[in-house]
Amino acid sequence: MTTGIPISEERPAFRNLSGMDWALVLSALVLAAIGVATVHSASAEMPIDYLPRQALWVGLGVLFMAVAGAINYRTLVDLALPIYLMGLGLLVLVLVAGEVGGGARSWLEFGGVGAQPGELAKLTTALFLARYLAGVNKRYLGVKELAVAGLIVAAPMVLLALQPDLGSAVMFLPMLAGMVVVAGLKWRFLAIAALVVVAAGAGVWFFGMQDYQRQRVFTFLNPESDPLGAGYQVQQSKIAVGSGELAGKGYMQGTQSQLRFLPARHTDFIFAVLAEEWGFVGSVAVLGLYAIFLINALRIGMRARERVAVLLVVGLVSLVAFHVLYNTAMVVGLVPITGIPLPFLSYGGSFTLLNFAIVGILVGVDVRRYVNA
Amino acid sequence: MQVQRQYRDDLTNRVRVLTVLVAVGLVVVGGGFWYVQLVQGGHYRELAENNRLRRMAIRAPRGLIYDREGRLMVENAPSYDLLLDRSRTRDLEESLEYAAMVLGRPVEELRKALDAARGQPASHPVPIARSLTLPQVAKFSAVALERPEFEIDVRHLRLYRNGPQVAHLIGYLGEVSEADLERARAEAEAREDGDRRDGADGVEPRYRMGDLIGKKGIELTYDDMLRGVNGERAVVVDSRGNLIQEYGRVDSDAGDPLRLTLDLPLQQAAERVMRDKVGAVVALDPRDGAVRAMVSSPSYDPNLFARGIRAAEWKELLEHENDPLQNRAIQNQHSPGSVLKIVMAAAGLSEGVITPSTSVHCSGGTVIYGRHFKCWKAGGHGTVSLNRAIAQSCNVYFYHLGRELGIERIAKWARAFGLGERSGIELDGEIPGLVPDPEWSLRTRKHQWFPGETISVSIGQGAISVTPIQIARAVAAIANGGTLVTPHLVEGAPAPTDRVPVDPRVLELVRQGMASVMQPGGTAYWRSHIPGFDYAGKTGTVQVVGGRTGDSDDLPWKLRNHAWFASFGPVEEPRLVVVVLNEHGGSGSSGAAPIAKVLYEEYFEVGDRAPGAARPGRPAGQVASSPGPAAPQPSAAQAPPAGTE
Repeated sequence: MTTGIPISEERPAFRNLSGMDWALVLSALVLAAIGVATVHSASAEMPIDYLPRQALWVGLGVLFMAVAGAINYRTLVDLALPIYLMGLGLLVLVLVAGEVGGGARSWLEFGGVGAQPGELAKLTTALFLARYLAGVNKRYLGVKELAVAGLIVAAPMVLLALQPDLGSAVMFLPMLAGMVVVAGLKWRFLAIAALVVVAAGAGVWFFGMQDYQRQRVFTFLNPESDPLGAGYQVQQSKIAVGSGELAGKGYMQGTQSQLRFLPARHTDFIFAVLAEEWGFVGSVAVLGLYAIFLINALRIGMRARERVAVLLVVGLVSLVAFHVLYNTAMVVGLVPITGIPLPFLSYGGSFTLLNFAIVGILVGVDVRRYVNA
Repeated sequence: MQVQRQYRDDLTNRVRVLTVLVAVGLVVVGGGFWYVQLVQGGHYRELAENNRLRRMAIRAPRGLIYDREGRLMVENAPSYDLLLDRSRTRDLEESLEYAAMVLGRPVEELRKALDAARGQPASHPVPIARSLTLPQVAKFSAVALERPEFEIDVRHLRLYRNGPQVAHLIGYLGEVSEADLERARAEAEAREDGDRRDGADGVEPRYRMGDLIGKKGIELTYDDMLRGVNGERAVVVDSRGNLIQEYGRVDSDAGDPLRLTLDLPLQQAAERVMRDKVGAVVALDPRDGAVRAMVSSPSYDPNLFARGIRAAEWKELLEHENDPLQNRAIQNQHSPGSVLKIVMAAAGLSEGVITPSTSVHCSGGTVIYGRHFKCWKAGGHGTVSLNRAIAQSCNVYFYHLGRELGIERIAKWARAFGLGERSGIELDGEIPGLVPDPEWSLRTRKHQWFPGETISVSIGQGAISVTPIQIARAVAAIANGGTLVTPHLVEGAPAPTDRVPVDPRVLELVRQGMASVMQPGGTAYWRSHIPGFDYAGKTGTVQVVGGRTGDSDDLPWKLRNHAWFASFGPVEEPRLVVVVLNEHGGSGSSGAAPIAKVLYEEYFEVGDRAPGAARPGRPAGQVASSPGPAAPQPSAAQAPPAGTE
C-alpha cells in the first residue's frame, strides 16, 4: 500500500496546523458568534435569554470540533458499521424512552440535559454510506448499489418519521443525493430532470400564482405547522426581512422580532431577525460567510485523495448546504415553511454540536490527506 | 488503489459541479433577499409600521363549579373593559378627559391605569377602566368613528353566587403575580432541557402577564383544570382597528367544570347558624370523606376579589380582629377538650387497660401524682363505667385511664385517628396541629415531659391541639368502623384511605357511649336531641388560657370557653359526621351541640325541618335559633360550671 511519499504513519496529524483550512474554521466561528449575538436579540422579549446557553453550546461545539478533528477519520471509517448501528440504536431508544418536545418524541434525557439522537444519526449515516460507496469499484453505481445506499439511509429516516419528525427525516435525502451523484450516478440526466422541475415550478410560482394561492400551497404542504397558519409565519418573516431594507434597523431594534410578531425567531427564523436588524447588507454578508464556508469545505473534498474521504466530505457538506439554502430561502418566502434550523446561527444544542463536529471531521480529513492509510 | 486513482478525477469534477450548484443556490437566495429587502422593502416597511396583523388572545372560559346535586355555585359573568390605543389618539389628555367624563370617574384614576402600561408599545391597547355599565359601553360604541382610540373588551369575571357562604372553600382568583410568573418561567425553563427547539417562543410558560389564576381554595387547588387553555387568533385590522380578515385562529379550550361533594342547602344552613359566631363547622360523609359542608366564620365576599379588591377593603379584611380570611376548619387549632375522650376510650379498650365494665369512683375530683385534678361536676358522678363516663363526660374516669395508658400510648392512638396531622383535604394552608409526647417536649420545649401533663391531655387539655377537620376525620373513622378517610371536596377526586388498627367491637362500644350522650342523662340530650332521629355525639369545653374563665354570660366574650361538638348520625348506618367549634361559645352542650342539631335537621329533613313540621316563616338569617353569645343563656343549672364537661 505504501507509495513513494516519504511520510511515516507515526507522523502526528496536527504537527503542522498551517495545513489546516483556516478560512473554513474561521468562517464557522464568525457565523457562530453572529448567531450568539442574534439569539440574544431574538430572545429579548422572551421569558428566557438564550444567549448564555447558546454561547455554552458554541463553546462545547469548539471542543467537539477539536475532538472530531483529532480522531483519524480512517479509524472512524473502519468502525463505520458499529457506529452506524449505534446511531440506529439510539433512535430506537428514543422511540421507546424518549421525551416529547414540539410534538415529536425526539429527545433523550441524560441527567437533565436533553439530546436529539436524530442529529447524531446524520453523522453516523454519512460515515457508513461513505464507506459503503467507497467500496464500490465501478465508474457508475448500479441498481443494486443504489438500492443498498437507499436502504442505509432509509433506516434512520423511517425511525425519525416514526417520532414523527418528518423534517429531520427529509434532511437525509440531500445527503444521499450528493453522495450518490459524486460516487457515480449518471448525474447529467438527474440534473436535467431537476432543472426542468425547478424551472417549471419557479415559473408557476412567481408568475402563475396569486399570493393567496401560494398561501394555500404553504398550508397544504404544512398541515401540522403552526396552527395559526403557515401564511402567518411567512407573512411575518417577510415583513421582518423586507422592512430591514438596505441597512437594517440596528441591533436589538427590529420591531417585528422585538414585538413578538415573529414566531420561532431564535431558532428557525433567526435569519429573519438578522435581516431585519442588519438589512440587505447584513444578509448578504452572512450569505457570503456561508459561501466561504461551503466552498472551502467542498474544496477539501476536491483535495482529498481517497474515495472514502471525498464521499464523506460530500455527504457532510451536502447536509450543511441544504440546511443553509433551505432555511434562508424559507425565511425570504421562496420555499414552504418546515422546521429546518440554520447551521451555526439557530439556537439549539444538539444541532450546534453536530455542525461543529462536521467542521472537525472536515479539517481532520484535510490535514491527513498526505498521510498514508 | 489503481482503480481508485483512475476514478479520482471523476470524483473531483463532480465535487466541482456540486460547488457550482451550491454557489448558484446562494446567489438565488441572495436574489430573494435583494427582491424582498430592496425592491419591496418600502412595502414591507409600511406593513411593519402599520402593524396590521394582530394576535389576540381568545380567553378560555373558566370551568363552572357545582354542588353535589348540580346546583350552580360559581359562574362567569361578562364584564366590559375600556381599552385605549395610544397610537390612534390625537391628543392623549383630551381622550382621557373624555373617557373620564363618560364614565363619571376621576381622570387621575384612568391616567394611573395608563401609566402602568408605559413600557408597552404604543399600538398595544391598554385597559384604562374596568367593569363598564351597558349604557357606558353603548356610548363608546356610538362614538367609535370619531374616537377610534377607544376599544371595548369583554372579559368574564367570576361570579360567586353564594358569596361569603362558601368563600373559604371556593377561594378566589387574582391576577397572576410576578412570583407566579417567575415560577411558571422556571417551570418552562426546566421543561426546555437547555436545548429544545419548539417552533414557537421556546416553551410557553403556563401563565402570561394579566392572566387570572386561582389564589385560594378550590380555585387554587384545581386551577389547572378550571383555567382551560387560552386560544389565539391572528387578524388583519385596518387603520381604524376594524377587523378586516381573520388570518387564522386556535380556539380556546374551556376549563373543565367541577362538581363538588358539597351539599349547598346544608352549607347554607350551617353558614346561617354560624353567621354571628366565630368558629367552624365541618360536615362530611363518614363512608368516603366527601365534605358536605364546611363553614368558617366570620367570612368574606370572594366577589370583592373577582372584580379587583380595593385597598381599603383589603385592609379591613386584614385588620379584622377575627381574621375572616382564615379558614378555621383547617387553619385554627385548639385543644379538643372532652371530645378527645372518644379517642381515649378507643385507646384504653384496645390496649386492654379498661373493659366496658371497668368502673371508677368520681367524687368530684381525684389526686394523681400528688396533685388535685377536678371533675367538672363538683359533686362527682359517683361510680361510673365507660358508657356513663362518656355520656356524662366524667373527667375522673379519664384521668385514671390516662395515667394507666401513659402519654406515649395516648399519642400513638391520637395519631392513629389522624389527630396532629394534616387531613389531606385539597385546600391550601392546612395546619397539622399537635399531638405532644415526651420526645416533642425535649425537642421543642427543651424540658422533660411532666407526668401531670399526661393527666391534662387525658381530657383534651394541655399541649394537644387539633383542627375541626381532624376531629371530623377521627369521628368518621369511629362511625365507619375504622377507616381513616381523606376529606375531599371534589367528586371523583382520588381520596386515599387508611385503616385505624382497631377492633370493630371497640368502636361499637365508643359509638354506644356517644349515642348515650344524646340520650336522657347525656350531656347533649337536653338541648339537642331530635325526636325521631337518633344521632350520637360528644361535647367538649375548652378553657381559654389565663385568668377567670368559664361559660357564664357575665364574662367578657373573649374569656368564655370554646365549645366543641363532634357527632355522627344516624346511629345505625352513619351517613353524616358533624363537627362544630364555636370559639368562646361557652360549653359544648350549649354552644356547639345545638348547631349540629340544625345541620342534622336540614340534611335528614327531621325535627324542625321534617316534612309536615310546622315551619315558621322566619327570615333566613334567623332560621337557627341556637344560643350564641347574644342569645339568652338558659339557667345555670343546665349550663355546667367551668371545666371540661
